[in-house]
Formats: sequence, C-alpha cells, structure tokens
Amino acid sequence: MRANMRGRKTVMAGAAMALASVGLAACGGGGGGDADADSKEVTVWTSMDTAVVDGLKSKTVAVAEEAGITLKWERVDDINKVLLPAIQSGSAPEIAIVPQPGVVKTIVDTGEARSLDGVMDAANTDSLLPGLLDAGKVDGTQYAQVVSMNVKSLVFYNKLAWADAGYPTPTSLDELDALVAQIKADGGTPWCIGIESGGATGWPATDWFEDLIMRVGSPEEYTQWVNHEIPFDSPVVREAAAKFEEYMFTPGNVPGGRKAIPSTAFGDAGKPMFNADGPGCWMLKQGSFIVSPDFLGEAANDADTNVGVFGFPPATAGGENPVLGGGDLAVLLSDSDAAKDVMNIIGAADAGVEAAPSSSFLSPHSGFDASLYASETARSFAEVANNASVILFDGSDAMPGEVGAGTFWSQITAWVSDSQDLDTTLKNIDESWPTS
Amino acid sequence: MFAVVLNALLTVAAGIFVAVGMYWVLNKVAELLPGNVEHRLKPYLYILPAYLAIIVYLIYPTILTVVYSFKDRFSREYVGFQNYSELFSAPGFGSTIINTFLWMLVVPVFSVIFGLLIATLADRLGPFGEKFTKTLIFLPMAISMVGASVVWSYIYTYRAEESGQAQIGMFNAILVNLGASPIAWFNEESFRLNSFMLMVIMLWAQVGFSMVLLSAAVKGVPGDTLEAARIDGATEVQIFFKVIIPQIKGTIITVLITVTIGVMKIFDIVYATTGGQFNTNVIGNEFFSQFTTNFHSGKAAAIVVMLMIAVIPIMIYQVRHFKAEEANA
Repeated sequence: MRANMRGRKTVMAGAAMALASVGLAACGGGGGGDADADSKEVTVWTSMDTAVVDGLKSKTVAVAEEAGITLKWERVDDINKVLLPAIQSGSAPEIAIVPQPGVVKTIVDTGEARSLDGVMDAANTDSLLPGLLDAGKVDGTQYAQVVSMNVKSLVFYNKLAWADAGYPTPTSLDELDALVAQIKADGGTPWCIGIESGGATGWPATDWFEDLIMRVGSPEEYTQWVNHEIPFDSPVVREAAAKFEEYMFTPGNVPGGRKAIPSTAFGDAGKPMFNADGPGCWMLKQGSFIVSPDFLGEAANDADTNVGVFGFPPATAGGENPVLGGGDLAVLLSDSDAAKDVMNIIGAADAGVEAAPSSSFLSPHSGFDASLYASETARSFAEVANNASVILFDGSDAMPGEVGAGTFWSQITAWVSDSQDLDTTLKNIDESWPTS
Repeated sequence: MFAVVLNALLTVAAGIFVAVGMYWVLNKVAELLPGNVEHRLKPYLYILPAYLAIIVYLIYPTILTVVYSFKDRFSREYVGFQNYSELFSAPGFGSTIINTFLWMLVVPVFSVIFGLLIATLADRLGPFGEKFTKTLIFLPMAISMVGASVVWSYIYTYRAEESGQAQIGMFNAILVNLGASPIAWFNEESFRLNSFMLMVIMLWAQVGFSMVLLSAAVKGVPGDTLEAARIDGATEVQIFFKVIIPQIKGTIITVLITVTIGVMKIFDIVYATTGGQFNTNVIGNEFFSQFTTNFHSGKAAAIVVMLMIAVIPIMIYQVRHFKAEEANA
C-alpha cells in the first residue's frame, strides 16, 4: 500500500514537471535570425495584406530562386508588436517589412538594422517616387527601402451624384473652399468625416492635420514638424488647425456637427455619400484603402462606376504639390549576402508586377506600368502619386509612439470632442514628446 | 506541418521522460541514505523542482521587473525614479488611476449584488426554470472579454442622426424609435458615463461566475435555520439579510476579492472598445500602450510595480481570510 502511494505520487509529480518542460521547450523554439553570412536562406516578415503578400511572393521567390536563394515570406500579424521582442531575443528574420518609419527608427535604436549604403542598386533607388527614398532614412543614413505604397491625400465622392450636380474638381485650396460653399448653397453637407477607430481613435483627424500642414506651410516645414524641430504649438500647426476648424466645425459642414466626429467610425463615415435618397455628405478625405464594400457599402463593388476620386488639392494650382502617403519599408537585419540580394529583389520596380493586378498593391516606383492595376480607381491613385512634387510619409507614423500613436491621436480627439481647447491640446502633445 | 506536430510530440515525450527520470534518480539518491534521514529529506527533494520553477518563473521575473522600472526605455541605464515621476506628471494618468479605482469599487460590488440576487431568485424556481436561468446567465462566461466587448460595441454603436444612416446599435435604435436622439455612449464623458458603460460589459461577462459560487453557498444554508426563523415570524426579507447573508459571508468575501483582483488587471474591454480614450483609460491598458506602442520598458515596468504594490494588501487580506475560514471549518 505504501509503495503504491509512493508510485502514484511519483507519476503525478512527473506529469507536473513534464508540463513545465513543455513550457520551456516552447520558449526555446523559434527560428534563428542571425544565420551565418553564407546562408542562402532568407526569411522576410511582413504584415501586409495576404493578397499583396501572395502577389509579391510569386514574383520575388522565382527571381530569388534564379539567384540560388531560398526566399521565404512569412506573414505575421501586427509586425510592430512582434518584431522588437524577436530582435531582442535573437530570433528576428533577415528582413522585416514594417509599415511605419517610426518603427524603422526604433529598430535602428536597437542597433540591429544594417545601413543600406552600398547595398541597394542605384536603379532600384533612383526609380522611387520623389520623397520615398527619404522616408527610409534615419538621421541621414539609409536604413529602409519602400516596397509598397499607399496614398492618403485623396478625396472621394459619389461619382454619379457628382456628375448630376455638375461639381468641378478643385485644383487649389481656394477652389476647394468655393466648392464647399457651393455644396452648402445647394443644401448639401460638404464633408464626410469620422475619426472613431477603437484604440486608434483620432488618426483620421491627424491625417487631416498632416495634409493641411504641408499645404498651408511647406513640405520643409512639414518635415521639421515631424522631427519636432517645429513644435505643435507653432503658427503653422495653428493655421492648419484653423483650416480644419473651418471645414469641420462650421455648423452644417459635417453630418451631426462637431460632436458627431469623434463617435462616427472612420469606416462608416463615407457610407452616407451613397444614401439611397442622395448624398448625406459629399466628400470624404481618406486613404486609398477605403475603397471597399466594408467602408463604402455596395457602391464599392463597382468602384469604377460609383466612386470618384481626386487628389486633395495643393495650396495653389500648379504650385508645390505635396502628397501624403504611406508605405511598407523593408529593413535589413542580417549581414548575409543573400539577404542583401533579396533587398534588391523585393526593392526592384518589377517586384510588384504580379501583386498589382491581384491586390490593392501600389508600386512606389515611377515608370511602373499603370495598365497592370486592376481598376481605374487604382490607376487614379497612382496618378495622384505620380503627379506629386514630393510624397511625404504619414507624420504620425514617423513620430515616436508616445506621440504618433498616442497623444497626437488622443489629444486631437479631445479637442474635436470639445472637451479641451486648442492651447491645452498643443501644449499637451509637445510635453508628451519623449526626451530620451 | 507534420514536422512541427512531430516535434511537439517528441518534446512532450522527452519532457515527461526527463522529469520522471529526474524524480527516479532523486528517489534513488534518497534511498541510499540511512532510513531516518531518507524520510526527513525525501519531501524536500520532491518539492525542490517546484520551488525551482517558482523561482525561475515567478520570483526572478518579479525582481527583474522592479529593476527595469528604474531603467530607461531599453532597460539599459538606470534613471532613478524618472519613470515614476514622468508617469505621474503625464496628463491623463491621474484620470487613469481614478478610473481603475472606480472599476475596483463598482464591478466587484455589483457582481456580488447581481449574482446573489439571481442565485436567490433562481433558487425559488422549479428545477427546469432554475437550470435554464442559470445556464443563460452563465453563458457569457464562455465568451472572451474581447468577444464580449465586440458584442457590446454593437449594442452601443452610434451613428449621427443627420447622416441618414440607420442606427444599427441596439440602445440607439431603441432611443430613436422612442423619439429621442441617439447617444454616443463611448464618448459621453460626463459623470464618466462611458466608463460605467464599459463596466456593464465586465458585469455581463462576470455575473455568472459569482452567481455559481453564491448559489452553491445559498443552497448550503441549512434549511432548519430558515425554518426556525420562519417559525419565529421573520419576513422573507429579514431571513435573507439576517439569516442567509451572515451564513454565506465567507463566499461573498471570496467572490469580492477574486473579482477585485481580476478588475485591477482589466485591459481587454477598454482596449477593444475605446482604447482608453475619452477618459476611460485604466492601468492595464496604460501598461500595454507603454510597452507595445511607446516601446518604453521602463515605464511599463513601473506600472506593473505599482499594480503589484496595490495588489499586495488584498492578497494578505485574502490569505488571512482563507486561514480564518479554515480555522472555523
């Protein structure tokens, strides 16, 4: 009996330890990132849409194979959150494609990012649209190559209703102001806007700020502002805020007025444009991703017929025409030659030829064959980007997380909600800028 | 895929083999010793791996967290109390703490009140009615907090009246059909209404838990005490407050403490609904954004340390309460 008891206890304790060792094994596993320099295997992590990744994969894996390199694409969810721990634990991939310049900077801070000087072929960097090369720089050194792009300075409208009303396409901010006045005179509500986005509430408003700052100011001032060489509490930001206030807070300019802006989901904001009894609001400034039945309703199923789009106009017609954009940036995390080759394979202009027809992919390279894009709407996006004098990356993405994904969103939201004034808002954002 | 599964199975098998082997060796070693020493030493040999696991997985990380809370964002250099002072001077942190306290006050109390109410009332139903009601109330427990938040987001959804879009949120659809204006529930900061709206989600998901425990306790109240009270002419309300409650006090305190500790760590509901904006932030969510948005390990660790310090008194009370209960039993 005694021996029996002892035996049972041993088994139970053994089982407990086994559980513990499974936990240990799980921690110990995972891919090895810093493979030796001669390795012919390269892993790329990305969080881009599955369709985009599939398109890029089918082209680039074949090219890599010809060069004798085994290229593996791994789609991870939310790379911003998984990459840094992976780098710190030494299990990072050879190449990471991150959606924000701010993350590139954080990777550089860890000391694991490799400079791209001498890595990229000139042909692959020269063909980038103006501004996109700079987006991959950290303190003047090239650390990232833009591999896909999106455009944010876009204004969408209901194509059929627009044609009926006979509204013109504005080519300057003054013309836009005139158009807003005309829509109101016709009894319409000019702007669609909603900035609710769960934990990220506020970002559509910060995009508005960015678009306005680069226009009422200049692309140079915009860049200085992003780097905090110009504070939030400055004339140019105040001027942009005044313009935003004029467009959005003027009674009758947005559905439901100022109070409705922070509680309207960004994904619902554009739907009233396609109300059965005529547009509940007329214009939605938003990024290229918004053309989807999820965000615009049934109308988006036949976007080329229903959804019209023009570039958010420059301050003066024919003048400096900055365009707000974003994109995915490839960062090199390995010294291996194969990884360097892959940087050129995925950074080449023709990397996207199979992704373009089958996904929302937009090429960051000038001279990319626009006929490859799946729709007229996608070609309009590419045209807006190609006509830009400079493409400026989303500033909130480039700012430190505390500001760009924190106070810039939340403080602007508090201001739009009318729960604090502009002075407090700008002061709070400036104070939250990290010192270290 | 096959390789991964095989790998996992092999790892488990190897783990079990090593563990059993280790205990076998320890056992053999002990048996080599003279009889009385063997008997005294053996328990310690058996508990040793568990102690090691606690040290490696619990105590070591705790110490490390305290150390990191005094280091910079990459845990490289010591910065003294800078993380703490910066947190406390940041706009909104005070409000975050107030919200966390509100959660700690409201949610445990109401989950006990509702749990007890449902348990007592269901107790009076027939066997089918009781089972059906309890299953229904317990059902949300099976949904993750994030799932519950998504469900409730639809209930709270707001669309501006002037947009011409139908109200798809249940509450606002009701309001509009009654002729009132829709309310943006998540944005209504006055009296922290939005925070309370989020607490409702937690209550909805949690009441089942307290109901089950309290129901068992209510059923455990001896029938003769109730009968004696009835014979003495006590009303049902008096019986409830003066006979039942005192006898299930222990369970009530256990539920209160468990829910309080759960609420102190609340994160998912706030993250999935408002993300802490509109004055609804709580400590758990602030930790998450410091760690994953701001990449600031120092401040994240500092928040964890504060939370740890706040939990300690509750833990001590719980342990004492537990011991007192054991002594009574």
